[in-house]
Amino acid sequence: MEEKEKKKHRAKHSGPKAEKKRKRYLSDLGIGDDENARKRNPKAFTVQSAVRMARTFHRTQDLKTKKHHIPVVDRTPLEPPPVVVVVVGPPKVGKSTLIKCLIKNFTRQKLIEIRGPVTIVSGKKRRLTIIECGCDINTMIDLAKVADLVLMLIDASFGFEMETFEFLNICQVHGFPKIMGVLTHLDTFKNNKQLKKTKKKLKHRFWTEVYPGAKLFYLSGMVHGEYQKQEIHNLGRFISVMKFRPLTWQTSHPYVLADRMEELTNLEDVRINPKCDRKIALYGYLRGAHLKNKSQIHMPGVGDFTVSDVSFLPDPCALPEQQKNRSLNEKEKIVYAPLSGVGGIVYDKDAVYIDLGGSHAHEKEEEEVSPNHELVQSLISTHSAIDVKMASSKVSLFMDSRPLGSEDVGQEFVMPKEERQIDLKTGRVRRKALFEEEEKENDDAVSDEEDDQEEEAAAMSEDGSGSDGEDEDAEQESDRELLGEEIAVGRTKRLKTQVAREEAVNELPAFADSDDNLEMSSEGEGETAPKGSEMEDEEDEQRSYEHESSDSDFEAAGKRVAESMQREINSEDIVMRPQISDHSLKRKAVLITDSGNCTAGEASESDVENSSLDEGDDEGSSHDELEVEESHRKGFQHNQAKKADGIRQTKLKAVEAEDDDVENLLREEEEYEEKLDFSADTTGALKWKEDLTQKAAQAFLRQQCSTPSLRKLIYGTAVEDEDHESEDAGGELGGLFRVSRPDKASKQKANALDCSKFLVEKLQDWDLEEVMNSIRDCFVTGKWEDDKDAAKLLEEDEELYGDFEDLETGVVHKGKCATEDESGSEEDEEDGKMSKPEPEEEEKKKELMDKKWKLKEMFDAEYDEGDATYFDDLKEEMHKQAQLNRAEFEDQDDETRVQYEGFRPGMYVRIEIENVPCEFVLNLDPHYPIILGGLGNSEGNVGYVQLRLKKHRWYKKILKTRDPLILSLGWRRFQTIPMFYIEDHNGRHRLLKYTPQHMHCGATFWGPITPQGTGFLAVQSVSGTMPDFRIAATGVVLDLDKSITIVKKLKLTGFPFKIFKNTSFIKGMFNSQLEVAKFEGAAIRTVSGIRGQIKKALRTPVGAFRATFEDKLLMSDIVFVRTWYPVSIPTFYNPVTSLLKPAGEKNSWSGMKTTGQLRHDRGIKVKQNKDSLYKPIVREKRHFNKLHIPKALQKALPFKNKPKNLEKKRKTPKDQWRPAVIREPHEKKISALLSALSTVNNYKIKKAKVKHREQLKEYLKVKQKEDEQKFKRQKEAKKKIYRILGQREKMRQKSSLKGCSKGEKST
Amino acid sequence: MASGLIWFAPLTSSVGTTLYYQPGLLYGGSLEHDCSPSRSIGYYLESLLCLAPFMKHPLKIVLRGVTNDQVDPSVDVLKVTALPLLKKFGVDGESLEIKINRRGMPPKGGGEILFACPVRRVLQPIHFTDPGKIKRIRGTAYSVRVSPQMANRMVESARSILNKFLPDIYIYTDHMKGVSSGKSPGFGMCLTAETINGTILSAELASNPQGQGAAVLPEELGQNCAKLLLEEVYRGGCVDSTNQSLALLLMTLGQRDVSKVLLGPLSPYTIEFLRHLRSFFQIMFKIETKTPEEEHMGGEKVLMTCVGTGFSNLSKTIR
Repeated sequence: MEEKEKKKHRAKHSGPKAEKKRKRYLSDLGIGDDENARKRNPKAFTVQSAVRMARTFHRTQDLKTKKHHIPVVDRTPLEPPPVVVVVVGPPKVGKSTLIKCLIKNFTRQKLIEIRGPVTIVSGKKRRLTIIECGCDINTMIDLAKVADLVLMLIDASFGFEMETFEFLNICQVHGFPKIMGVLTHLDTFKNNKQLKKTKKKLKHRFWTEVYPGAKLFYLSGMVHGEYQKQEIHNLGRFISVMKFRPLTWQTSHPYVLADRMEELTNLEDVRINPKCDRKIALYGYLRGAHLKNKSQIHMPGVGDFTVSDVSFLPDPCALPEQQKNRSLNEKEKIVYAPLSGVGGIVYDKDAVYIDLGGSHAHEKEEEEVSPNHELVQSLISTHSAIDVKMASSKVSLFMDSRPLGSEDVGQEFVMPKEERQIDLKTGRVRRKALFEEEEKENDDAVSDEEDDQEEEAAAMSEDGSGSDGEDEDAEQESDRELLGEEIAVGRTKRLKTQVAREEAVNELPAFADSDDNLEMSSEGEGETAPKGSEMEDEEDEQRSYEHESSDSDFEAAGKRVAESMQREINSEDIVMRPQISDHSLKRKAVLITDSGNCTAGEASESDVENSSLDEGDDEGSSHDELEVEESHRKGFQHNQAKKADGIRQTKLKAVEAEDDDVENLLREEEEYEEKLDFSADTTGALKWKEDLTQKAAQAFLRQQCSTPSLRKLIYGTAVEDEDHESEDAGGELGGLFRVSRPDKASKQKANALDCSKFLVEKLQDWDLEEVMNSIRDCFVTGKWEDDKDAAKLLEEDEELYGDFEDLETGVVHKGKCATEDESGSEEDEEDGKMSKPEPEEEEKKKELMDKKWKLKEMFDAEYDEGDATYFDDLKEEMHKQAQLNRAEFEDQDDETRVQYEGFRPGMYVRIEIENVPCEFVLNLDPHYPIILGGLGNSEGNVGYVQLRLKKHRWYKKILKTRDPLILSLGWRRFQTIPMFYIEDHNGRHRLLKYTPQHMHCGATFWGPITPQGTGFLAVQSVSGTMPDFRIAATGVVLDLDKSITIVKKLKLTGFPFKIFKNTSFIKGMFNSQLEVAKFEGAAIRTVSGIRGQIKKALRTPVGAFRATFEDKLLMSDIVFVRTWYPVSIPTFYNPVTSLLKPAGEKNSWSGMKTTGQLRHDRGIKVKQNKDSLYKPIVREKRHFNKLHIPKALQKALPFKNKPKNLEKKRKTPKDQWRPAVIREPHEKKISALLSALSTVNNYKIKKAKVKHREQLKEYLKVKQKEDEQKFKRQKEAKKKIYRILGQREKMRQKSSLKGCSKGEKST
Repeated sequence: MASGLIWFAPLTSSVGTTLYYQPGLLYGGSLEHDCSPSRSIGYYLESLLCLAPFMKHPLKIVLRGVTNDQVDPSVDVLKVTALPLLKKFGVDGESLEIKINRRGMPPKGGGEILFACPVRRVLQPIHFTDPGKIKRIRGTAYSVRVSPQMANRMVESARSILNKFLPDIYIYTDHMKGVSSGKSPGFGMCLTAETINGTILSAELASNPQGQGAAVLPEELGQNCAKLLLEEVYRGGCVDSTNQSLALLLMTLGQRDVSKVLLGPLSPYTIEFLRHLRSFFQIMFKIETKTPEEEHMGGEKVLMTCVGTGFSNLSKTIR
């Protein structure tokens, strides 16, 4: 900190302050200020081009509308669940280190090992669930679906790796969560320039993948195996203020990222059959949408289940209640990570381990014990001691298991050193993702540097701003203090976790009592205790330990074990252990009996009951009212179930008067039911009508007289249900079949008439005046409510608008000042004489103001309404709905609320699931996320799904139809066999053998029904690592159609066996007459292109038919018909059960193999069709017959088209042959000379011709010119003449007019 | 009918009916169906009204059988009450209609109607808590294969009662002849009361079928029907008693938002329906009884509130 103080002051260059300064400076100078400029020079700001202005306006409007999203109802609950932060990156990039640093930053606690999700309170209104994502593609897919924020770690020294890009693509498909890049290993760069260049390069690549301007964080280096404090702090601040966009899939489905698993299977069953299906309970925050009990869920990597029970628990990592302070105090900085061993407790499958800490972990603390605070401390400490007590009460330890120490765990998971990392590097295959662009980018690094500097400056300013506030103070605590806090916080956490755990186990009454007493007292003391510093806290704990160790209560001591173990040396540990084991055994026994009960009789207990029970057990005495309620419920249940349970009977005594009421009611209902039954039996089915009216009358009466029991009338009570279900359980026949015996009521209803009409059992006498009056006001003619009554409203208006002057008649109307006059009259009388003019004036003023205000309101309403767009209206509507959603059930307690709307997101729930494969429990690895994804209506069904699919551009191979493919769709990952098709112009879906390269195609598969519009991705295998990009295809669900219409082309061939003119008989295409009949009229074609039609089947040979063609066929022609054959989609759906694999092999799931793989594995060669082999094409020369034209036709043809009998001419008889001329030498000379001369002559003639032509051209040119001139002259001459003519004409007209006027005058 | 459309097959078992159910997608399209004359078309139409918005293709179905009888809600009533209700949930458009081509009375029937409904992907939540005051009363008095004077007589008698409350009453007389009059004689009337907020309450009565029970005087029927309407007004609510279950179902099938509706006293059918809704959708309604603040506003009302299941039409294709 001192260094910072030394730092020189740097003037701000940006931000509001700098802006203000600049403005002031400029105004001092007399320039600047836009406002002034406008005033100074208004002409410069006028409209210069209307068109341009219109265009700019248009463009701004376009941009504005582009930003609009379809408004959705905001369904986030008031207390949202923790934000899921997924830390993802290739191995050894520093994921766990980052998580540890973040947790330490937020909670001042150091986690030794990160296993599973870690939930922390990061601020007053925000909690985070941080989870690490390995490189297994299964994990990446699962976590991308639940992530709200992704921290994408990138090893800057290495660059991007394929995992990063794969994860980005997964995110894109399953809704894009917020993504923040984090560059690590920046300290490996020795050269600063190189560092900058790399940063820049990576940043731009990141931007192209996510969005331009996406935040990329730089973690510069490590200090003692941790990232730098300030940087982590900044990162934390970024995370805790981030806003998230709701993702469609996530908001429409409930889901739980489980952070704890508990097995509830009957131990005896496991003993008999170790591979029996298990019953488990999973814990976690509910997110997304409301979860209903008994709904369908999917566990990615395990399978589909039906929720057998849900209950909500007190929040183990609650947000601070009162929000007075700006920052959290230390007690509110909670961390909850049951799988990771927070506060020294590690949950395993079925045991809980306690971390003893290092042998010298407590030495410091012990030194600080100061005896003078003893008394106060003992008082203060009791509160925290409760936590510990409750915490350890549920701890069950393995007798023979070695407790995990921080040292042993730590050794395995130390951040590897530099050299080691290099070793690993050589060993590990890293999947570097290289891009050509990047290499290019390297060249233009010079200009980039400027940008970087700017950025760094910005980062610096952020640092500066980050260092103020209380957070800063907290950071500067000494290590010693930190240690103390750690323990203190740990205890409170333990309390929370234990509370959560408690509900599974019914407490022994004595135990509960002691608990309660202690808690009560501690609460009282806790209030008196001041909120001391951390130092004091530590001492408290010391005191408390001493104080409590003297406690004789065994239970309490057992609970303290955790505490004591942390304090004492190992030697004492040995003494304590048997006690612990003893205790744990007891607890386990209780647990077992309880679960046994559950399975036998009370498994069907409704969730309401259950949760209320649990809650009551937990915090029974602390909430008195609650207990009353709960106990009465319990009693109720006992009455019904008739079960004698020792513990519960004690509570039966607490049945109260209310209980009796309820019982009475129930009895009434039972009687009612019986009566109905009786009547049905006796009177028979024919008299249903009487029965119905009677029933309706009764029902109606009930509704009228006991309105609060309407709900009970409809839904019955939870106890009733239980009763029925227990009956059902009893009706099992040999454990195989179940007698489905409809209960009396439903039997009765089944025989009744199914009619929706609500018959009136007894008409009221509508002629009577009283009866008529009872509905008088339902009509517009009746009396209205005050706020709607027209007369009243008019009167009110009168007061304001009463004054007006009738302009036509000039009469001034005065409104009565009804209310004001009345109220003010007394005042007037009193004050009237004293100062009469003043109040009058005031009144007038007030009236005027009122008037004005009313007018303004009207004006506003008119104009605002006109301004509001459809979009605004829609948004407003959604907002209203959201408010209603929040407000509707707000006032009700959680239990009733849960019944109406289901478990709302943000609750910490415990979900019981039955029939889980034992492998899931046995091979549980907390490093792999356990997700419970809720399924909507009919999303648990399997059917045909149509997709639009595109092979990923980076995937090297093309995909083949009928090869199994692993899809990630909705919550699920599954293997299926898609068939690819493309839609032809006529809407036909034609099967494709392979996916097209850079085009979308359709795909249909048999798999889980998922709503339309859901994105999916496909991979070919999820096992191991591949050197290439793994995502094979992406796309979206289009349709869920039962009738698939994919067809493939089938050409049937046949051969002509008899040819008439244009008619031929074809055989070999079909096998029976029936087949032919089906294809009658179908278009057929020969290979040579002659088109035809199937006419009719022939009797022999079988399958032959008559066909006509547009031309005569040849016997050598092949005829074919093109048909479309529907393809059946293989009903293969195989969920990827990667979580069932044993630990260490979880990424080695392999499903059905492709044919190619099978062939490769077995070494089978494809048997190729001989005809399909490529051979050199040998084409025989074809001889065509001569074209024969009949003589008659020849005669008719015009001469042009007549075949010229050239051959005949050529064949001149020998006697007509001309003899060859043989020249004499002289003659030869002559002819040579002649030819030479003629050549010369010819040349001369040619030359003369050319010359002549040129001359002609010249001449024509000259001629044209002359013509033009001549034409011009003529034109001018004509003009002149016409002008003269015109003038003359005018003159004449004028003179004639004159003459006319004269003539008129003269007459 | 079409593959995958839930339908009741004709009587086969001794009890009376068997349910023939072929699971799958609701396909829709243009269909025709001959309904059994033992129940009126309204009975079939009620179930179709629940299903029609969630088909793959818009439904256009011709139903033949009994249009009006004494047991089930008649087609006339559904036309004037159920369709406006559907519109409130966002199922509207030109194609939403019920058209009565022919009227058929029991026992022989012979009526024919056309029902067309568009498809929707999701339904809107409704907030329908203020019924408002009744501004007009409309109705239809129909007569087939009897004297056309019957209808007029019914109208007269009904008006005589209703006029004490409201002047704006108009009851259409609908006398069908020839082919469109079905196979059996009969007459009846249905009345609707419409409020300023668009709530429609209805009542109806039909004459005894030919050869069953004593002959009914049209005057008596008209008066009784008017009184039934007054009874319905007394019950009140924003949805009339026949359509309570439809409204509740569509609320359940809405998005994950709060829907509210004010009903009159729940009919036994609705109560049973609510139980079914809980067992199928795990939906429980918040039921509050409301007594009207003023004296002359009829009986007690029930405010039903629920959060939708987030149901979306999985059959509808997107392009």
